[in-house]
Amino acid sequence: MSANLWLATGNFFTTYKQEQRTFLTSLDRSVFTFFLVLLFGWPLVFELSNKYMLVVDNVLIAIVAVMGLNLVTGFAGLISIGHAAFVGIGAYTIASFCQTIGESHIIITHFWPVLIVFSGIVGAVFGAIVGLPALRLKHLYLAIATLSFQMIFEWTIQFMTFFNQGQTIYVGRVFWFTGKVGRSDHYLFWYFIILTIVILLGFGIRNLLKTRYGRCLVAVRDNDRAADAMGMNPGLTKVYAFALAGFFAGVAGALHAYVYRGVGFESFTLHESIGYLAMAIVGGLGTLNGSFWGPVAIKFLDLQVETLAEIAGQYMPSSMNLATALKPFTFGLVIVLFLMFEPRGIANWWRIIKSYTKLWPFRY
Amino acid sequence: MSYFFQIVISGIVVGSIYALAALGLVLVYKSSRVANFAHGQIIAAGAFITYYLTVSLGVPIFFSFIASMIITFFLAMSVEKIFLRRLIGEPIISVIMVTIGLGSILDGLIYLTPFGSENFSFPHFLPQAPLSLGGVSISWTQLVGIIITFILIGGLSWFFKKSTIGISMRAVSDDQFGSMSVGISVPKVFGLAWALAGLSAAAAGCIIGNITGLNFDTLHSFGIIVFPVIILGGLDSILGAVVAGIIIGLIQQFSSGYLDGNWGLSGTGEVMPYIILVVVLFFKPHGLFGIHEIERV
Amino acid sequence: MKSKNFLTALLILVVMFAFTASVNAGGKVYKLGMSLAITGPTSDAGNPYAKGTEDYFKFVNDTKMLGEDTIDCTIRDDQYKTDVTKRNFEEYLDNGIVMYLNYSTGSTLGLKRDFEEEEIAVLPASYHAGNLDGSNYIFLPIASYSDQLVNLAEYVAKHHKGAKAKVALFVHPSAFGRGPVSDVEKAVAAGLNIELIEVVEHGKDLDNTAMLKRLMSKNVQYVISQTIQSPVATMIKDSQRLGLTASSFGEAGKLTFMGAHYTGGNDLIALAGDAAENYFWITAFNITSVPGEGTTKQLALAKKYGRDQKAADSHNYAAGIMVAQVTTEAIKRTKAAGLEINKANLYNTLNKMNGANAYNPYTTTGPVNYSKTDRMGVDLLQIYSVQGGVFKAVGKPLESEYMKKIK
Repeated sequence: MSANLWLATGNFFTTYKQEQRTFLTSLDRSVFTFFLVLLFGWPLVFELSNKYMLVVDNVLIAIVAVMGLNLVTGFAGLISIGHAAFVGIGAYTIASFCQTIGESHIIITHFWPVLIVFSGIVGAVFGAIVGLPALRLKHLYLAIATLSFQMIFEWTIQFMTFFNQGQTIYVGRVFWFTGKVGRSDHYLFWYFIILTIVILLGFGIRNLLKTRYGRCLVAVRDNDRAADAMGMNPGLTKVYAFALAGFFAGVAGALHAYVYRGVGFESFTLHESIGYLAMAIVGGLGTLNGSFWGPVAIKFLDLQVETLAEIAGQYMPSSMNLATALKPFTFGLVIVLFLMFEPRGIANWWRIIKSYTKLWPFRY
Repeated sequence: MSYFFQIVISGIVVGSIYALAALGLVLVYKSSRVANFAHGQIIAAGAFITYYLTVSLGVPIFFSFIASMIITFFLAMSVEKIFLRRLIGEPIISVIMVTIGLGSILDGLIYLTPFGSENFSFPHFLPQAPLSLGGVSISWTQLVGIIITFILIGGLSWFFKKSTIGISMRAVSDDQFGSMSVGISVPKVFGLAWALAGLSAAAAGCIIGNITGLNFDTLHSFGIIVFPVIILGGLDSILGAVVAGIIIGLIQQFSSGYLDGNWGLSGTGEVMPYIILVVVLFFKPHGLFGIHEIERV
Repeated sequence: MKSKNFLTALLILVVMFAFTASVNAGGKVYKLGMSLAITGPTSDAGNPYAKGTEDYFKFVNDTKMLGEDTIDCTIRDDQYKTDVTKRNFEEYLDNGIVMYLNYSTGSTLGLKRDFEEEEIAVLPASYHAGNLDGSNYIFLPIASYSDQLVNLAEYVAKHHKGAKAKVALFVHPSAFGRGPVSDVEKAVAAGLNIELIEVVEHGKDLDNTAMLKRLMSKNVQYVISQTIQSPVATMIKDSQRLGLTASSFGEAGKLTFMGAHYTGGNDLIALAGDAAENYFWITAFNITSVPGEGTTKQLALAKKYGRDQKAADSHNYAAGIMVAQVTTEAIKRTKAAGLEINKANLYNTLNKMNGANAYNPYTTTGPVNYSKTDRMGVDLLQIYSVQGGVFKAVGKPLESEYMKKIK
C-alpha cells in the first residue's frame, strides 16, 4: 500500500470504513493528542488567578451551549432565540433537586455526573416540546415562537415560589474521590470536568454529521421540500434537532449551576439568548470549530472592553458614561463588522489558515 | 360594567400604540424580508430626539414631533444604506443578527448621552383633566395618541394603495427580479421602507414618551413586544399589524384586570400575549392575516 | 544608530519606572472594590450612587483624611448581571481588597455564601432584609425595606382618621419587591392596626387604570410601594388623570401614595411632574430640598468634583457617599487602634460601631449602629412628602416599633 500514514498525499482509501475515520492521517491524530495534553496540563504549570479561571470556566460552559445552538441554527437552519431558556431549564433542574431534597444532599454532591446527564435529558424533552411548532412553522414565525418560549420561561421562573421566584437557589459544593472540592480548587476542578465534557460532546457532533441523521439535518436546511421528496421526514428531523440542542443546553445549564453554586434567573434572560446567537455567528455558523471560536471571542472581548473602559475612565474621570457605554457599543460593532465583512465567521479564517499551511510553500 | 368598558378602552389605547410601533416592522419586512430587531432602540431614539428638541432647543412640541420624524426618517435610511445594503441575499439569520448588532450599537450611543440612564418627562401641552364618557375616562394624551396613530396608519395605507412609489414597494415585496425588470429601483425601495419605518417608530416613541415618561429601559422593551404583534397579525400585512396590536393590547389589559390578584397570579399581562401567540400559530401558521406562501422545490 | 535608539528607549522606560515607583512611596494603599449597575436596569439609581462613592473616596485622598495612606476603590459596571458581579468580586479578591461594596439584591443573595467563606465585610445598596439571613458579613447601610414599609404602615395606622385603614401594596416583581411583603403581613398579625387588602405586583404596564379602579372598588385608601421610580410614576400619573389622588394625607375616597427608599427622590418628581404632589416617601438620607449641614456638604462635594445638579441633588448620590463614609470611618478607627488594615480587623471594628461608638455620617438622618446582632445601620427613618413640587420633611426620624416585635 502506497498510502502515507502521516501526510495527506492523496486519496488511497479502499473501504468506506477507512474514509470515515475521525483522523485521516496519523499526523492529525498526534497533533490532536499533543493539543489535548496541553489543554489538561497547562493549569498544573501556570497558576491562574480565580477571576481568570472563572472566565475560562464560563467560556467552556458557553462552548457547550453554543455547540447545541449551532446544531439547531447552523446545521438545521432553524433560528432559535430561546436558547438561554433551555440552558436555564438545565440549571433549574439542579435547582429543583436542591429545593426538594436540600442542597447538600448526597445525590447532588456525590452523584453530580448523573444529575448533569439528567439535566441534559430534561433539556432535551423541553427542546422537543418547543420544537413541535417546527412541524408547522417556518423561518421567522418559528423564531418568534422560540422567543415566546423564552418569555414564558422567564415569567414562570419569576412567578412560581417553587423556583424561589427568580431569587438565587443555592447549590452545595461537590465531592470528588479526594474529598470535598474546596473554595481554592473549585474553579480548577470544574475546568477539568467541563473540558472533558466539551471534548466528548465535540467528538459526538463530529460523528453525528457523518451519520444518516446528520445528513438529514443538512438536507432539511438546504431545501426541506426536496428532502421530503427524497423520503426523509423534515418535521421529525427538526424536532430531533431541537431536542439535541436542548440536551447540550441542559448540560451547560447544570454545569453553570455547579460552577456558580447557585441558580438565579438573571443568567438566563433574552439578553443571554442573543449573546449565544452572537457567539454562534461570530464563530461561524454551521461548523464545529465555530462553536469554539465564538464564545472565546465574545467573552474575551467583554473583558478587554472592561479593561479599556477602566483606562478610559482614568483619563475622563467625570464621564463614566463613556466607559460603560462601550460595552454594548463594541458588542454590536463586532457583530455588525463580522457580518458585513466575514459572514462565515472566524471558522472561515481558520479554514483559510489551515489550507494555507497545509499547502505551504505551494500556493495551490 | 363600566370597569369592563374601562379595560376595553385602555386595551384599545395601548393596542393602537403597539400597532403604530409594529407598523414600521411590517413595512420593513414587506419590502425587504428583514426582521428589524433594533426597532425598540429607534423608538427610543425618536422619543429622545423629540425631547431634546422640545426642552433643550425650545421648539414647540408639534414642530419637534414632525422634526424628529424627519430626522429618524433619514437616520433609518442611512442605516439601511450603510449596513444592510451589503447583506442583500445573505441568509436571514445573518440579517437578523446585523439588526441585533445595530440595536446594540444604538444602545451604546444612547448610553453616551444622559438619556441612557436617567428619567425625563415631557412638559405638559394638553389639558390635564381626563375626558369622561359614561363612566369611562381617557386622558387627552391617550386620545391624541390614538388619533395620531390612526392618521398615520390611514396615510400609509393610502400611500401603499394609490401612490406610484407605494405600488412599486408592493411590487418589490412580491418579486424582486420582476420589479427590477420593470424598471423599479429595488435599493431605493429598501431605503424608503426603512425610512418610513423610522418615521413611524419616532411617532410611536413620542406618544409613548408622553404617556409613560422617558425611561430608556421601558422604551426599548417595546422592541420585543412588537414581535408577537406582527407575528400574530401576519408579517406582511398592515391591517394585520393594526388588528393584532389592538388584540394584544386588549389581552394585556384583560389579563391584568381580571386574572391578576386571583389565584395568586401576577404579571400575567406580560406573558399572556406570548401564550396566545403560540396557540394561534398552531392553527394559523402564518398569523391571522399573513399570506400563506406556496413553496416549491 | 540602531543602538542609540535602543538606549533612548531603555532610558525612557527606566524613567517611567522610576516615576511610577516613587508615586506610592510613603503611605499604604487600602484596596476596596465596588460592583454595581451604572448602565442597564436600575442604572438611574446606580449611576449617581457610583458617583457619590467615587467622589467621597477622592475627597478622602485629597484632604488626607487617613494621613499618608490612600484608598484605592475600583468601581466596575456589572449591568445588574450576577455573573458579571461574581467575576468582578473574584477579581477584587485576587487584588486583595479589605472590604467590598455591592449593589443589587440578586447578586448580594447570590454571593452570600462567598462572603461567608471569604470572611469579608460587605456593604450592599440593597436593603433587602433577606440579606441578613444566614449571613454574618453583610451590613445593611440603613434599615431594611421591611422596616421602611412597616414604618410607613405604622404612620398610616397612627394618622388615619376613622376605622381600620385599608392598605394595598404595590411591589416590584422580584425578590427586591416581594421581600418585605411577608414582614408587613407579620406586623399586621402582631397587631398593627391596618387591613392589607391586596398585594399588586406590577409589570411594564403602560396603563394602570384597571388596577387603580379595582383598588378603589375595594375601598383602598393607601398604596404603599416597594419598587423603582418609573412604575410608581406611571401609577401616580394615571391616578391624577383619573382624579383619584388625595390632596392631603388620608383624604377620604381618594388614594394616598407612599413608598420606600427606591421609589422616591427627585427622579420621581422629574418623571411624574405635578402628579407627585402629596407623595409620601421614607428613607434615612438627608435630601437637598431640606437644607441642613449635611446637604450643604453634599452639594459642596458634588461641586468640587464637577457633578451636574441632577446628580448632586439625588438621594442615590447621598447613599453612595454614605457607604464610602462608613468604610472610611471603619478604616480610620482600625488604624487609630493600631491594628493592621485587613478583612478581619475591619469586620471587628464595624461590629463595635454602636452605643457611644455610633457613627454619624452627615448624609443620614440618624446614627449608624452595628453590632454582632444588629447589622442594619441607620435605624431611624425620616418620612418626606412632596409639597409644592419638592420633598419636605414630615415629623421627626422614627424607628419602627412593630419590626422590633416581630424579630
